[in-house]
Amino acid sequence: MAQLLINDRTYTVDADPSTPLLWVIRERLQLTGTKFGCGIAQCGACTIHLDGAAARSCQTTVAQAAGKKITTIEGLHPKGEHPLQKAWIAEQVPQCGYCQSGQIMQAAALLAKNPNPTDEEIVAGMTGNICRCATYVRIKRAIKRAARGV
Amino acid sequence: MTTRFSRREFLRSTAAAGVGLTLRFTIPGGVDEAGAATSFEPNAALTITPDGAVTVHITKAEMGQGVGTALAQIVAEELEADWKDIRIDYPINDPKYGLMLTGGSWSVNWTFDALSRAGAAARIMLVDAAARYWKVSPDDCTAERGVVRHLPTGRSIAYGDIVAKVPITKTLSEDDLKKIRLKEPSEYRVVGKWIPRLDIPEKTNGRARFGIDTFLPGMVYAKVAYPPTREAGKHTAVDDSAAKKVKGYVATVVTPGLVAVVATTYENAVKARDALRITWDQGPNANVSSESIFAAFAKKAAEDTSALAWLEQGDVKAAMAQAPKRHEATFTTDYVAHMQMEPMNCVVRFADGAYDIYTGSQFQTFAAGTLAATLGVDPSKIRIHQQYLGGGFGRRLEPDIMVETALIAREVKRPVKLIRSREEDLRRDFYRSATLQMLRAGLDGDGKVIAWENTVVASHPGQRWGPDFVDKRGLDQFALNGADHVYDIPNQLVRAIPVATGIPVGYVRAVAPNYTFFAVETFVDELARLAGVDPVEYRLSMLRSAPRLARVLKLAAEKAAWGTPLPPNVGRGVACVSAQEKKSPTWTASVVEAQVDPATGRVRIRKVTCAVDCGIVVNPDGARAQIEGSVLFGVSNALKEYGTVANGALVQSNFHDYQVLRMDEVPDVEVHVVDSREYPTGLGEPGTTTIAPALSNAIFAATGARVRSVPLLPARVLKALQEKA
Repeated sequence: MAQLLINDRTYTVDADPSTPLLWVIRERLQLTGTKFGCGIAQCGACTIHLDGAAARSCQTTVAQAAGKKITTIEGLHPKGEHPLQKAWIAEQVPQCGYCQSGQIMQAAALLAKNPNPTDEEIVAGMTGNICRCATYVRIKRAIKRAARGV
Repeated sequence: MTTRFSRREFLRSTAAAGVGLTLRFTIPGGVDEAGAATSFEPNAALTITPDGAVTVHITKAEMGQGVGTALAQIVAEELEADWKDIRIDYPINDPKYGLMLTGGSWSVNWTFDALSRAGAAARIMLVDAAARYWKVSPDDCTAERGVVRHLPTGRSIAYGDIVAKVPITKTLSEDDLKKIRLKEPSEYRVVGKWIPRLDIPEKTNGRARFGIDTFLPGMVYAKVAYPPTREAGKHTAVDDSAAKKVKGYVATVVTPGLVAVVATTYENAVKARDALRITWDQGPNANVSSESIFAAFAKKAAEDTSALAWLEQGDVKAAMAQAPKRHEATFTTDYVAHMQMEPMNCVVRFADGAYDIYTGSQFQTFAAGTLAATLGVDPSKIRIHQQYLGGGFGRRLEPDIMVETALIAREVKRPVKLIRSREEDLRRDFYRSATLQMLRAGLDGDGKVIAWENTVVASHPGQRWGPDFVDKRGLDQFALNGADHVYDIPNQLVRAIPVATGIPVGYVRAVAPNYTFFAVETFVDELARLAGVDPVEYRLSMLRSAPRLARVLKLAAEKAAWGTPLPPNVGRGVACVSAQEKKSPTWTASVVEAQVDPATGRVRIRKVTCAVDCGIVVNPDGARAQIEGSVLFGVSNALKEYGTVANGALVQSNFHDYQVLRMDEVPDVEVHVVDSREYPTGLGEPGTTTIAPALSNAIFAATGARVRSVPLLPARVLKALQEKA
């Protein structure tokens, strides 16, 4: 039995400590905003926050996550109105949408550390996240819009 | 209250359908005389409820194109609905929706006329009902923003109130439908307007439901053990004694073509599957490799002189013999995988002889037919509950994941969820074919092309799909489109050599025009250089019969500052295409500006300027998004993507060795869309096809080195640089 603190709620899960956190979040707790894309921390679709820092939940075990504050896309903002979420709508970023939870979580961790990133800093911060629809131009615009606070 | 429709069905050929497809609509003969309805369903396209909500039934897959919003705009325009009343849903497959197929950049092109008429028909029926309610002439009534008004008295009634209060009895025959006067573009209020996409908010907060997000009560997880070779491998012995000891083990399923294990959780299913001991017969393809495939392609191209003529005009032989100047070149492209972000997955519940299937499908009609045949049930027992697609790009045209999951669900009698790992997804993909194209041209004294010959060697996906997907000679036009370019060349011959390799191929975004236009547009550039003419001017001289393409070519060149000086090792290249099909082309031209590092062969694309004429634009921002995305998909294909084959399977396994475009290599993308009143075509793919040739041409402009293989990898660029020197 593992205790996990996700989006300010405690969940008790019967899972092997070596189980990737991703599968517990998605398939047990049905917090499905966090997506499975590659399983080897190469695509970023499963990005969550662990104590506020971006982490790949496919490469984070239940044991590693226990005792930490876990945030998923569902807990980023109570109404889904984080400045990045608003900017994502304003810039009409998503296409298929599958990677976008991970993109937003990655960008939120970036902005939390660096509220006004340069283009280069955005690229450096976001290059681990793949969007196969290639919405990259709009992702960049939306991050800048959120940073500007509009 | 019940609603009884006496239905009359009719078929309507869609304009420019291209392959003889039809859309089927059902028009009600009138509501029950007993009274008004709980809902008004004038045809298969929409339903209006008494609360005024207009639900447009989207039978195309939403995989990021914004198709739901665009198709709803088309209906809303002629319906005169208020946009705030518009809802969309994605119905379960039903023959009443006709061919449920999403691909080919066809969605708007195939439905624009039919959905316009569906909306208009509903409006006419509502106006008629309101007029009868008021006992006035419908000619004195108008409809606007979801309200019917009687002009002489100023009375009005909302659509929802008509549905609630008034029997809607008017019927329209097929002929009536054809005669409806549709709006002129100048009258549009919804089409062509900036309308935010309906699916975007829930794609920012994690609420959007993809196939993988399906949960059913009592659901268990399956994992399949796939043979080591991609095609024709078979299990000969299965030992599941160790698998049975894994926690949560439920069952082993072995059918002639499938080995799977079922467990209570995903991770336990993985453990149990990995614990299986299977003996494989690798089949006849165990020695197939990239080398053997390309060697076979080259041999066929050289030897197979009896190859089928896919396109023939004039007398190539005579013209070639007369030509004072001749040029030939061979182009190759590698296998490309879909790599849609959502790995293939499916949930199936088998109960009471019927299969409820939860997944995202691009081709429900084909899937339902394949499943019914495989499972031995009537097609009506296959219900595909359409979900959002976490990327399609042609991968979800294939029903393979549905078939596997259904076979397992039938055995275990519990709802089953099957999720492929990324490695399985990539290794079980249906790739874009590797290709070899051999081009020859004869030029007259002025450098004008008088003879053109192209031999296209590729695997044809349609041969695997069945006789409906190839012509009488076994050729799949979707493996050849684009080889029939629109240049004015009097004598042409395109030969097709389909080759089965042991690596199954499918349809990957932009399909054949990715490789055909790579060869055509790079070769034309070579001919322009040979003729000593500017590549834009040279193309324009051959586009007299394609003025819309000439226009976007000029536009792209102008916006990209074609001909102005650039720093050393930087060049501009151009390509222009009639993709996806010559019958319904989206006229597209791109200029790529690229920088080459001569020491490493590394290429950086600085900028892409893309000009497009797709006729009427339904959703301008959605159109731009599709062009941006398709251009960058082309950048990814052109710079990075390749699959190599060894031992009958793909070598690459995941995003670390099958690399796709990331933000660090994204160029500036400038999009120009021509204002047009022509019938709309599609935007999901054409931009993709321009990038590889324009990039190859840019590399030549920058360095004088010609790269004739996609992707344009640093090693290939270096080799071309060395050959030049």
